[in-house]
Amino acid sequence: MTKILVFADIKQGELKGSTTELLSKAKQMGAQTAVVAVGNGIQELTPKLADAGSDTQYLADDQSLELFSGGPYAAAVVDAANQFEADIIWFGFSESGKTLAPRVAAQLNAACASEITDIVWEGDKHEITRPAIANKVIQRLKINTERLVAVVRAGAFEAAPDISGTENPIQLSAPPADLKAVIRELISEAGNEVDLADADIVISVGRGAKDQAGVDLVRELAQDLNAGFGSSRAMVDGGFMAHNKQVGQTGKIVAPTLYMAVGISGAIQHLAGMNGSKVILAVNKDPEAPIFNVADYGIVGDLFEVVPILRDEIKALKA
Amino acid sequence: MKILTTIKKVVDVELTINVDAGAIVEDGLQYVMNAWDENAVEASVQLKENNNAETTMVSIGSGEDTVKALRRGFAMGIETGIQIDDPALANADSPCFAKVLSAVFEQGDYDLVITGKQAQDTDNGQAGIMLAQILDLPCVSNVISIEVKDDSHISVSRLGDAGTEILDIELPAVVTVSDSINEPRLPQMRGLMMAKKKKINVMDLAALGTSVEAVGGTEPQSEILEFMKSETRTAGQKFEGDAAEITAKVVNLLANEAKVL
Repeated sequence: MTKILVFADIKQGELKGSTTELLSKAKQMGAQTAVVAVGNGIQELTPKLADAGSDTQYLADDQSLELFSGGPYAAAVVDAANQFEADIIWFGFSESGKTLAPRVAAQLNAACASEITDIVWEGDKHEITRPAIANKVIQRLKINTERLVAVVRAGAFEAAPDISGTENPIQLSAPPADLKAVIRELISEAGNEVDLADADIVISVGRGAKDQAGVDLVRELAQDLNAGFGSSRAMVDGGFMAHNKQVGQTGKIVAPTLYMAVGISGAIQHLAGMNGSKVILAVNKDPEAPIFNVADYGIVGDLFEVVPILRDEIKALKA
Repeated sequence: MKILTTIKKVVDVELTINVDAGAIVEDGLQYVMNAWDENAVEASVQLKENNNAETTMVSIGSGEDTVKALRRGFAMGIETGIQIDDPALANADSPCFAKVLSAVFEQGDYDLVITGKQAQDTDNGQAGIMLAQILDLPCVSNVISIEVKDDSHISVSRLGDAGTEILDIELPAVVTVSDSINEPRLPQMRGLMMAKKKKINVMDLAALGTSVEAVGGTEPQSEILEFMKSETRTAGQKFEGDAAEITAKVVNLLANEAKVL
């Protein structure tokens, strides 16, 4: 039986939806499942980790693991992978996953695959599918190693509604701290806004919003819908939006049910970060903007005029 | 401080990529320096200008396009260029690239390796981090600023999941940079002219003191079976005209046709 270990995606003490998605896929594949959770005070997440679909929970819970550090976090995953004798080690799509996967793969002498969207792991047939060249092509790859470490692309797998697991926590010893790359400070940008990765609706603002007043206008629409509020690169570079709100190949890759691109022209790097969304709505003044080539619905118009009407219409709809 | 920057030629992602019979159609493709590598080059050149760092770049690849990428690096201000040109590396995967780079590192007594966070052709983002693992060096990815503290320490910030992380790193080390770190300079005519005269140190694996077997080139961990064209989205319904009217229409469609509101 294939054994799949999933790295638990935990943010501010909360377990993120991607963990359930990955465990759901693992169970659909008929695999034996485990999670590895790394952090400080994460012990209490054990029931939630089990509910997410894991049958064993490897916990590296230590004060020294409060802040992310590549070396110790990777060491904990390697420890869990060896104890569980995992065939496949999965990370959800996150900065932590992207930086841990190559470290873990190198230590386990396993193949490493980034942003996989599908997998076949039956008998001798070990294959994965993933996008490349800014999503313009899909690659099908054969895996030659016995073990595979992979980062799963956001939205690739769906959470099964009836997923369940069993509590079987196993404590890992805390790995030694990385004395050569010491985290000195964390400047949190989190706030209390909706997490882009988990949001059903994501609304992103672009250059068309011009300034802070324009950004605030679009933000209000996001708040009405309890949507994640993202940004194009231009508004991050302009200092109007935080780095961690950038949607695109270099920032967050999102795949919500509804994506609204407001005042975004649609540079290829931005499209590569959102074109997995189920439905896309674009609002742009320029009828020739490339964003309209991927949008299911397009409103050609000035966002300063359109967004207030959108808010009113949506309020009327919900009322 | 000696810096090694890795650069790679990649297919120009702005152009249309065609796929035929499981392979990318080479005809009509153009190659450029990987965009994230331009950020790595810019970061290195800034450390040369501000901290008297010595700068070397290395590119693994054959042909005129690799040379062109190296020439661009020269024109941006890198002093020394190495090309690893070996036909045995034609189908190398990330761990293989990382092993080749580790052999380059061992030859040069470098303090810092700067790579782009990923290459635009594979979008893997693995080689730099694997290089650090092989060399057992500290490694920080997705870096958005580098500050030299002293001869053996730098401070970097990186964009992590919880926010901006600030780390103190002991050299030698490997960092992979995000495009948020800087705005790469455009090479000037004078730099481009001078770059043409610069000598590129071309080596094969033997000259590097290694072999295709030693870098894992004969037993790749993964192999590409085929390429397929991505499912491209097609333009849907686009509305122009009276803002109130078309916005109301679209909200109605989102609710009743797409059923997402």
